[in-house]
Amino acid sequence: MENLLEVKNLNVDFQLEQHVIHAVRGVDLCVRPQETVVVAGESGSGKTVTALALTRILPPNARITAGEAFFDGKDLLALNERELEQVRGSKIAYCFQEPTSYLNPVYSIGEQICEAVIFHQHCSRKEAEKEAARLLEDVRIPDPRRVLASYPHQLSGGMNQRVFIAMSLACKPRLLICDEPTTALDVTIEAQILQLLKELKARHGFALLFITHNLAIAKKIAQRIYVMYQGKVVEGDETSRIFAAPRHAHTKELISAYEKIGKL
Amino acid sequence: MRNPYLTAGTLIIGVLAITAILAPLISPYDPARIDGKNLLAPPSPAHLMGTDSLGRDLASRMAWGARISLSIGLIAVGIATLIGLVVGSIAGFYGRWPDAVIMRFTDIMLCFPTFFLILAVVAVLEPSIYNIMAIIGLTGWMGAARLIRSEILSLKEREFIQAERALGASDARIIVRHLVPNAIGPVLVNATLGIAGAILLESGLSFLGLGVQPPTASWGNILIESKSTLGVAWWITVFPGLAILVTILGFNFIAEGLKKVIG
Amino acid sequence: MIAYLFRRLLGIIPVLLGITIISFIVIHLAPGKPATVEQSLNPKVSPEIRAKLYKLYGLDKPLHVQYADWLKRSVRFDFGDSFADGRPVARRILERMPLTILVNAVSLVCVFLAAIPLGIKAAQKPGGRFDNATTVAVFVLFAVPTFWLALLLMQLVCIRLGWLPISGIKSLDFEYFSPARKVMDIGWHLILPVFVTTLGSLAGISRYMRSSMIEAMSQPYIVTARAKGLPERTVVYKHGLRNALLPIVTLVGLSIPGLLGGSVIFESIFALPGLGRLFYEAVMTRDYPLIMAEVVLGAVLTMAGNLIADISYAYVDPRIRYKG
Repeated sequence: MENLLEVKNLNVDFQLEQHVIHAVRGVDLCVRPQETVVVAGESGSGKTVTALALTRILPPNARITAGEAFFDGKDLLALNERELEQVRGSKIAYCFQEPTSYLNPVYSIGEQICEAVIFHQHCSRKEAEKEAARLLEDVRIPDPRRVLASYPHQLSGGMNQRVFIAMSLACKPRLLICDEPTTALDVTIEAQILQLLKELKARHGFALLFITHNLAIAKKIAQRIYVMYQGKVVEGDETSRIFAAPRHAHTKELISAYEKIGKL
Repeated sequence: MRNPYLTAGTLIIGVLAITAILAPLISPYDPARIDGKNLLAPPSPAHLMGTDSLGRDLASRMAWGARISLSIGLIAVGIATLIGLVVGSIAGFYGRWPDAVIMRFTDIMLCFPTFFLILAVVAVLEPSIYNIMAIIGLTGWMGAARLIRSEILSLKEREFIQAERALGASDARIIVRHLVPNAIGPVLVNATLGIAGAILLESGLSFLGLGVQPPTASWGNILIESKSTLGVAWWITVFPGLAILVTILGFNFIAEGLKKVIG
Repeated sequence: MIAYLFRRLLGIIPVLLGITIISFIVIHLAPGKPATVEQSLNPKVSPEIRAKLYKLYGLDKPLHVQYADWLKRSVRFDFGDSFADGRPVARRILERMPLTILVNAVSLVCVFLAAIPLGIKAAQKPGGRFDNATTVAVFVLFAVPTFWLALLLMQLVCIRLGWLPISGIKSLDFEYFSPARKVMDIGWHLILPVFVTTLGSLAGISRYMRSSMIEAMSQPYIVTARAKGLPERTVVYKHGLRNALLPIVTLVGLSIPGLLGGSVIFESIFALPGLGRLFYEAVMTRDYPLIMAEVVLGAVLTMAGNLIADISYAYVDPRIRYKG
């Protein structure tokens, strides 16, 4: 099948005061339409940087030094800023780790959902508000009117993550990138969010690139897994094959650690 | 040049301090000597910075003024920092009601426009160098107190303090031997900035005629005359102001450099 | 929000008492008590003035009675009569207040109008060319004694170039002007004082704005705003700026003591009949009732400024607004 996203030889450096850190080194990966792909690895392995580099929303001291990222046949890394704005949020959307700090504290939930809808779909505020309420219902938030008028600090972490997912799906993206979306939440909420993502995916048919350090989650949701270690993809294969016959030493180590505590 | 701010600042203040200390030796004239034949003389080889309306040599007055400015800055900030250290330590270390009372008092002091308070006190007492030092010190300790309090609050819970306490050290020992030395960095930065502030304050007071009193020369009171010689004798306006500017710049540079050192 | 307001209002009561006590202590430093009569070296304080002070503050009564009496009168804005012209102190202050408030309010607006864009621009590329240039400028501006700057500008703009009037607030022939021309004339006289006052606070506030903006732009929600595909302009001005401005609001309150202090110097230099100049005159003539009233007034203004700043902060920050 044709790839939706195909990353080739991605390299990202961080310029620190004294030296340069090579955070991502020659990463290759691909995501097919409607597929769920997990990028697994410990913190600092370059998973998040890889994800942010795709639409170039890295911090100012980061630089993409080489690579290509084909999305729908176009190289994202060669697009200019205006063209990228049309991709971000509209074709590729993100969902982050701590929803509460990734939401702007001074704007209401409604405002934050509506602004993306208005920008990408050129509709009126009235229509956007209607759409926002519908989106919140879609992520199973009861009483969407009240939530729309609330501010992030008034909602729980799990609720904010639902809001965030709703906001990400506002423009029907073809690829949703979730960066540790459940790490900051407790276990029952985590299960709810994972279940919600599964339902939404079935309903809307987007592809999911899911980043996590948690192999148990990876095993549960992924069709394919990439394992990252020190800025490189050390292994990438079908989920069943990775768990049955891991090839790289780091993967083996991770899996056996999880097995030892009985989490897999 | 790993720390250009510190280098530049130390250089400026070093030169200034030497000028101040050696003022009696290096001033070409007696700063109070009146010369009727040389009134408002522009800068020349004989009078490097010109003379004022009484024919006094401006360069000499500036050098003596450096003594006044620096000593007022140092002593006023010394007083302020000492008060801040004591008050802040007590508040931070003991917490509860001493903290509540002290911090409330600090808030009240911060409400006063310092300049108003100082002027009021000067009006009541006599304006003299010593009064100025004392008043600037007594009205400028709040920053240091807040700083040391918050430093101590965060240090207090650290392991080495807990261990010391478990070994039965007295409160005073813990404060003096461990907490204050560990909190001194930011206080030093604050004090350096405070010196600059105090010098600026003194020059303002003296400019209003409520600070250092003539015939003693201070940069601020030299500037009083610039109001009446505006457009006639530029040197009387330019040199004292520049001296104040460079001094403040020097202390601010040192503070900036220290910030980098402390990290 | 209501609960927050209530707490804040309760909190100012002890501060108000503290302010009056400190002011009261300052009064008691004044010569006038029998013990200090002989010792006072102050030539400006004649026996006649001492007698007046004695009567005004009831210096023969016990301390707490003196304080209670003084507090009672102060609450009614009765600060006694000025020694200089025998008119009520409160009236003299009220006459002078509008000008000082006008100059400082206009300056404050100018400061924010200049400091906010400067801070945003510098924050866009910390360590960039613009940022470094403003850093140098800020260092110099911090170090300039503003009264000296005022003198230099007077020399240049008023004397050399003759563009602006040198001092005062009205031209000599003010009486014959039409109303519109009168307003123009006052504005004309205030340009330089406002400019110098503005420069006095500009450095600090623009630096504060810069660091606040850098802080805001490094927050996670900025990544979100970008990830949503919003144009950079919207990211900076809608998501970054709004958050960066929150702490700036409180600076309005914190600037008041500095502005009042500055008024004393600027109004003396430019011969403006405002509160600052009145205070200066009071100090020079040892007009104690006037001095005391101004000290208390200054503190109350500062406190009011802080209170207003806190309330506006609570109002603009939904995290406080919706908490109670």
